[in-house]
Amino acid sequence: MTETAQPPKEVQQNPLLEGLQLLRVPDPCALVIFGASGDLTRRKLFPALYSLALRRLLPERFAVVGVARSEESDDDFRERMKHAVQEFGRDDFDEETWDWLAGGMRYASTDVANEDGQDRLAGVLDELDEQRGTAGNRVYYLAVPPDAISTLIREIGEHRSTEGWTRVIVEKPFGRDLASACQLNKEIQEHFAESEIFRIDHYLGKETVQNLLALRFANGIFEPIWNRQFVDHVQITVAESIGIEGRAGFYEQAGAIRDVFQNHLLQLVALTAMEPPADYAADSVRNEKVKVLRSLHTPGPRHVVRGQYGPGYVEGQEVPGYREEPGVAADSMTETYVAAKLFVDNWRWADTPFYVRAGKRLARRETTIAIEFKRAPHPPFEIQDDGLQPNVLVCHIQPDEGVSLEFAAKVPGQGMALRTVHMDFLYGGTFRQGIPEAYERLLLDCLLGDARMFTRADEVEEQWSLVDAIVAFWKRDRPSFPNYAAGAWGPAAADELLRRDGRMWRRH
Amino acid sequence: MATALASISDVNRELARLRTDPDTGEPFQRTSVMTHIAWVPNEWVEAAEDVLAGLAERHPSRTIVLVPDLDADDALEATVEVDRFPAGGGREIAVETIRLRLCGERAAAPASVVQPLLLPDLPVFLRWRGVPPFGAGPFEQLIDVVDRLIVDSTEWPGLPAPYVQLAEIFDRVVVSDIAWARTSRWRPQLASLWPGIADVRSIEVEGTEAQANLLAGWLRSRLGRDVELRHTASDRLVGVKVDGEPAPFPPGDPPDPADLLSDELDRFTRDRVYEDAVRAA
Repeated sequence: MTETAQPPKEVQQNPLLEGLQLLRVPDPCALVIFGASGDLTRRKLFPALYSLALRRLLPERFAVVGVARSEESDDDFRERMKHAVQEFGRDDFDEETWDWLAGGMRYASTDVANEDGQDRLAGVLDELDEQRGTAGNRVYYLAVPPDAISTLIREIGEHRSTEGWTRVIVEKPFGRDLASACQLNKEIQEHFAESEIFRIDHYLGKETVQNLLALRFANGIFEPIWNRQFVDHVQITVAESIGIEGRAGFYEQAGAIRDVFQNHLLQLVALTAMEPPADYAADSVRNEKVKVLRSLHTPGPRHVVRGQYGPGYVEGQEVPGYREEPGVAADSMTETYVAAKLFVDNWRWADTPFYVRAGKRLARRETTIAIEFKRAPHPPFEIQDDGLQPNVLVCHIQPDEGVSLEFAAKVPGQGMALRTVHMDFLYGGTFRQGIPEAYERLLLDCLLGDARMFTRADEVEEQWSLVDAIVAFWKRDRPSFPNYAAGAWGPAAADELLRRDGRMWRRH
Repeated sequence: MATALASISDVNRELARLRTDPDTGEPFQRTSVMTHIAWVPNEWVEAAEDVLAGLAERHPSRTIVLVPDLDADDALEATVEVDRFPAGGGREIAVETIRLRLCGERAAAPASVVQPLLLPDLPVFLRWRGVPPFGAGPFEQLIDVVDRLIVDSTEWPGLPAPYVQLAEIFDRVVVSDIAWARTSRWRPQLASLWPGIADVRSIEVEGTEAQANLLAGWLRSRLGRDVELRHTASDRLVGVKVDGEPAPFPPGDPPDPADLLSDELDRFTRDRVYEDAVRAA
């Protein structure tokens, strides 16, 4: 009699796992933050790490090494970050969680650009591998000024751990034009594979930006009309009411086009215009975004407006003009506002303008994507002058996260008076759990090796290629700056950009 | 002070009145994601109110609390509350709670009372306190109008016998059991003992009777064979031994009752693993 041979239990599938909702927890690792004395580390990175620790989403064997040139002891670093978490964190402070996180925190006051510095950091990391079991896995977060990135990449690359995996997170701005971005990509790719490189654009970590994909691709009613046949035009606004917040050194070099247009704004254009990806894998999503960026028609000079704010009032408070900000040249020609009329040259969007704008010291902080649909072809009613507006679907990225649809409704009473009404979905009204901060989501994704919400090399290059074309013709003229008052909605020329087409920016 | 109402039309009128801001005349925004019905016999009222208090803000819903009072004269006594919560951007959302005392004969046909109050197109959850009277009119009617039944078999005496009747309704309504949810921290711990646990002969559970039976049922159904159960009573699940060896204690604190119910309200699909565990309990 023969018996059917059973495979040993070790290789059988574990039947107890069926139905368990197991959270994916990252591998043990050490996170090294370059620029540990900077604002980003204090305001965003540590509060995000703490929130992840509170939700037990970090690996049990985890460590963080802060690296900066300034002298600081491990304990001082822990204390400073503890205050940062208490000040900027979204959760109530829990001593036990903090103690766990702080137990794996080290500070290395060192200049990694030299051999000694590298050896010192390597020593700290080896020690952590031993003490905290981080297994040689490394995430390097480069929260440093752009000019420091190349050296760091080279040093990290040449001294990368031979055990475990290595990932590198690079903060924006990624280059300052196409040539420097290509050069940077080349330098990074000499030491790291594309799957190890995480170019961060924190807008992609926002829940509401990701909800745009859910809205488009998880609903049957929007995608059939998400095209040139039904959409009159698209308006994307990334408006800030704040000024440059003491970052004159950076902003004078960057301007609105490098600070926001090249990254956040073009990412929003790509997500709005992209085709449905076959699946939600990192490259499937990014392939579709790149196709949009490649299809962007370079706008002519008439289709781009730049502006710079002068003195004015924001929220009732008098604020200085850009040229009066500390550290800004009195005759600075840096733009604090940019608006453009873009076309996506493909079958879906041909001849459908995407009006985009980004600026500082505007009337209020607001990021929205508005899809304005074509008007009803022949309404059989007598329409008052202000009676019938087109339907607009608005995705509110921030604040008041949500989606609203504007449509016409009959005003109760005799006759057929019409009024535009809003149907609102307010994110925080329906989903009552706190919305994770973008950096929480992105840090965790990187620890898990998920690059879906990070920017790929070719995306960055396509973005810069468009920006270079715009900047090139900016060199030919010298607009009269300032050309809008702080607290306004940008220069008059931006209104003219739409008025020429018989359209106007959405009223806010 | 909530007003006592005597008919469903009165309830609807009062809801409309309370949903309007008295200062501006504008309606509050309602962002309900479900209708939540709670069947709460008198002895469960206090416990139910405690749980509901923390729930409304997390799950904006219309909550209908049904309190049967079979001994009273036929009548319907209703009160309505609209609570408001901040929703960001200076806006508020409104959630509604309708408390209905079903007196005398009115308790015999609860489905006809709740149907006019269900929010259209939204899922309906029924939380049943205590052991459901399987086969009896009110229970049978209600499970036919809801999408999901939520019970807590910890509240049930005489286990595991009632699980047999519970299993009979699995094809009619999706069932969630808070007692099962209370084992959720332990199941991954036990699963992590694979492959050693594949040969388990007995488990010893220190916890509620429901938790012990469900964990044993889970192991039996997943492994496809019998596993002996020894049970030590405790009001919470504090330990599991596998063939006499203590399983590692799960990390974190056990969730509170409002969190457990809240989590169940986020689930919409049938849990086949739970159903198998109940059948094998």
